[in-house]
Parts: sequence; structure tokens; C-alpha cells
Amino acid sequence: MATVSKAAGTDPRRSRRTRPQSPPSRARRGSGRRRRSPLSPRVWLPTVVAVALVGAAWSWVAAGNPYILPELGEVGRTLASDPTLFVENAWSTLQIALLGVAWGAGTAFVLALLMSEIPVLRRAIMPLAVVLNVTPVVALAPALVVAFGFGMTPKVVVTAIVTFFPVLINVTTGLRSVSGPVLHVFRTLHASRLEVLLKLRLPTSLPYALAALRVVLPLSIVGAVVAEFVAAGSSSGLGTMIRNSAANAQLPHVYAAVACLATMGVLMLALTTLLERRLLFWHESQQRNPS
Amino acid sequence: MSRERIEVRGLTKTYEGGDPRRPTLDRIDLDVPRGHFVSLIGPSGCGKSTLVRVVAGLEDYDEGSVRIFDSTPRQMCAAKAVGFVPQSPALLPWLNVRRNITLPARVNRRAGKGSENPDALLRMVGLDDAARKYPHELSGGMRQRVAIARAFGTRPDLLLMDEPFSALDEFTREALQWHLLGLWERMSTTVLFVTHSVREAVTLSDEIVVMSARPGRVHEVIPVDLPRPRGDEVTGPRGRALEDRVRASLRGAWESGAAPDDLIPL
Repeated sequence: MATVSKAAGTDPRRSRRTRPQSPPSRARRGSGRRRRSPLSPRVWLPTVVAVALVGAAWSWVAAGNPYILPELGEVGRTLASDPTLFVENAWSTLQIALLGVAWGAGTAFVLALLMSEIPVLRRAIMPLAVVLNVTPVVALAPALVVAFGFGMTPKVVVTAIVTFFPVLINVTTGLRSVSGPVLHVFRTLHASRLEVLLKLRLPTSLPYALAALRVVLPLSIVGAVVAEFVAAGSSSGLGTMIRNSAANAQLPHVYAAVACLATMGVLMLALTTLLERRLLFWHESQQRNPS
Repeated sequence: MSRERIEVRGLTKTYEGGDPRRPTLDRIDLDVPRGHFVSLIGPSGCGKSTLVRVVAGLEDYDEGSVRIFDSTPRQMCAAKAVGFVPQSPALLPWLNVRRNITLPARVNRRAGKGSENPDALLRMVGLDDAARKYPHELSGGMRQRVAIARAFGTRPDLLLMDEPFSALDEFTREALQWHLLGLWERMSTTVLFVTHSVREAVTLSDEIVVMSARPGRVHEVIPVDLPRPRGDEVTGPRGRALEDRVRASLRGAWESGAAPDDLIPL
């Protein structure tokens, strides 16, 4: 019954037609559970309304205070006036973000594997990883620029540090969360450690690794932008663009760059969702009616 | 020492932090001839699951000895001669039914042990249509049938089952008992079967080992002299008389236990 009343509450057509006396019919109860077509207004209308409201509020503020928020049209014109500039800078930032993820997540994954197999390593590595995680990476970044110069290297290192810890923690947890009965079956078959790792622990850790990726991919953009802010001599990247435009009070440029960053983040999340649907079809998180 | 039986002698085990005066297993003696189907029944905490895990080589013990057809539990596992069916089906959710069943054939290849044809196994448990399905698409009873087929996959000399049907409804449970008996009669495997159900023990077993709790001891071994293959006589007067006998024995085991708080005699 709870699902029925909830479905009725979110349906604008029904709430307008007030019929409190009639109980929900069978057909209606069924339609509440069926997966709706993405074309149904129930699916897209709430989002569209929310976006329109935020847009209206933005325009209202921007109309009176151009130095707090630029007009949305202005931001759009800035983007359209020189699209290659934004694409080139976005590509530069994206490269740093992706290389950082590759290094950070890759190293974390290998270390998690080693720690799960060699308990001594766990006690050695974990405290160091925690210290690295609690150290503000913004504070570390200038030192890294001194050490690695103004090229891509310090930025990739900053991004790698930001993305390292969530992957390490999640994959470590995933590799350890093998169910007891399954492990018993493997042990009565006298499976080797490598077989347990490859056929049991790694697949078990996959949902955890992808959950980490969901956190880490947007985080990598944050890392790349922060690194660009700090590395004073860098000439490209959306972070650099934002810093320079802000210094010149070019708010439309700043928000155009921010919009590019947000788009990159959304695309990365969409990619993760796609991967999860492909790889985790067997996992509870992907089942539509978990019982 | 015999190649033709499982011999458990003076087996004693206390879990770490447990009371050493009331061991989980207290001087257990048990003989299971090759090819027999033996059930372990008793109040919770009587150590029947622990006993099965010790025989499976999954747990160590403090004193005594366990010989399975003149080998140690570890040697038996190394030769892939043990099948294990836990209480939950313990399938790998990312593999389809067929791949789950052939899993034992794909690990520990050093044992050089042949394996049963997976399609024949699937047919025997009535799942030939579900070969390409994944565990999340199956009912609880079907999953447990896959687990049983998997355990038979290596043609094990010894099959250990730890309350495999306890999470299923009564109808499914009875259907699975007949599936299991069918497989067992074909494969002539030795089975050690932990259960909470008197009816199940009588239906399946050659002998029923009644255990008492705290300390975990063998209270009585009751032979089941019903003809094989089992049929209607299980529910007939002889079957019912045996059930009464096992219940009386369980009551005795319950009264002799130190803390008989968790089994209501039926």
C-alpha cells in the first residue's frame, strides 16, 4: 500500500483529480510497479521543473547583480564564441584527470591485492595510506610543483593522490568480504591461494572497485583543477582558465569553464553506470526488484 | 585402520575462549562404513556442524583422530574426494548454473580427478532448462539443487552436508530429499548429513547419530532398517515408529545436556 500512495503522490495528473473515496484499482496498483518509459512525463517532468526553477532563480539574481552571477545567455555566448578554446582546455584537464586515476587507482588496486595476500604488508602500508589521505593535497601541491616542474607530472601526481585512498579502502574491503560458506567449498576442494584470489576474491571485490570508481572519477577532476590552480606556470587547462578569468573578473568565462567541468563529471558518472550495468548484472545493486 | 570406513576416535575440541570442562566435541567416537548415509541430529550447540567441519578439514581439533578411508581430512581434500554442501547454497553469483557446477573441475587440477558430465548432473536434479541462468534468477530450492549437483560433480568419496535444506519450505525440502536420494543411489557416495528434522533423518539415512549438547557427545546411534530405495514405508507405520524412537532419544539427549534451553521436544 505504501508504494501505491507514494506513486499517486508523485503523479501530477492524479493529484489534480482528487478522488479520495475511491480505492486504487488493481490495474493502477500494477502500473505503479511497472518500469515506466523514459518518455512518460512522470519520468522527465520533475527534473525539467527543477531545472527550470533553478534557471529562473539564477536569471533573477543575475539580472540585478552581474558581479555575483553572469547571465546564462552570456555564459552560453562565451562558450559558443570560441568552442575550440574550451575543448582544448577541457581535453588538457581531462588528460590529467584520467592519467591521475590510472596511476592512483592502479597503484591502490595492486597494493590492495598485495595486502590481502600478505597481512604484514597491511600493517605496514595502511598507516601510511591514512596519513597520505588526511594530508590536504592542496598543501602538498606547491611542493610537488617544485619537485616535478610545471609540466603535467605534478598535476597527475596530485590527482593520483586524491584518487588513491578510496580505491585502496574499497578494494581491500571487497577482497575480504568473501562469504564463509563459499570459502569452505573452495577449501574442501583444496583450491590454491591463487585460485581463491582469481576465481573468488577478485570477482567479489568488483562491485566495491566500481563503487570506488564512481567516487574517484569525479574526484579526479577536482584533483586536476586544484593542481592547475596551484601550478602557477601552467598555460592550459580549465583550472588555469578559471583562475586567470577570475583574476580579470570575467565571470562568464569562469562559469563557462565550470559548465565544461560539470559536463565532464556527468559523462564520467554515466560511463561508470554503463560499466556497472555491463559487469555487475549479477549483483543485488543491479536488480530492479530486490526481494 | 580401514580403507572401508570413516573412523573418528576420541575426538575432542574446545573453541578458543570456550569452557574447557564442556568441550564443543567431547570424546566423539563414530564409525561410518563406506557407502552409508548417516545423519547427525541433536539440539543446537551439540557440535554436529563442528564435527562435519572437522571431518571436512576446515577446522582443527584438540585430541583424538579422524581417518577417512585411511586418509586424513586434508589428504582427502587435496585429492578432491570431499564434496561439501553448506546451509546456504554458496553459489558464485557471476557464473551461470552450468559454470557453477563445473567450478570444482576448474580448481585444483593437480588432483587429477575426473568429473561428472555437468549436463547429466543437471538432468538428474531436474535443471537442464536452467543451465544458462544465473543464481539470482533461480528460486531458493533450485539454487540448493545446483549446490548439490556441484558437490557431486567431482564424484566425491565423501559428501558432507551441513543442514542443506533447513532454509527451504517443507514442500521444496521433501522434493529435494528425493533428488538427493536419487543421486546418492546412483553415485554410491558416503554421506554425512547434518539436520534438525527427524522426518528428514528417517527418510534419508541408514543410521541416525543422536548427539547431546554441552558437552557435545554421541548420545545414541539408531539404525534405520527401512528398505532401499525409500518409498512409502517412510511415512508408513514403520517410518513413524522410527521417528518416535528418534524423538524419544532426542528427549533423552536433551535431558542429559547441561543447558537444555533450546530444543523443545516434539
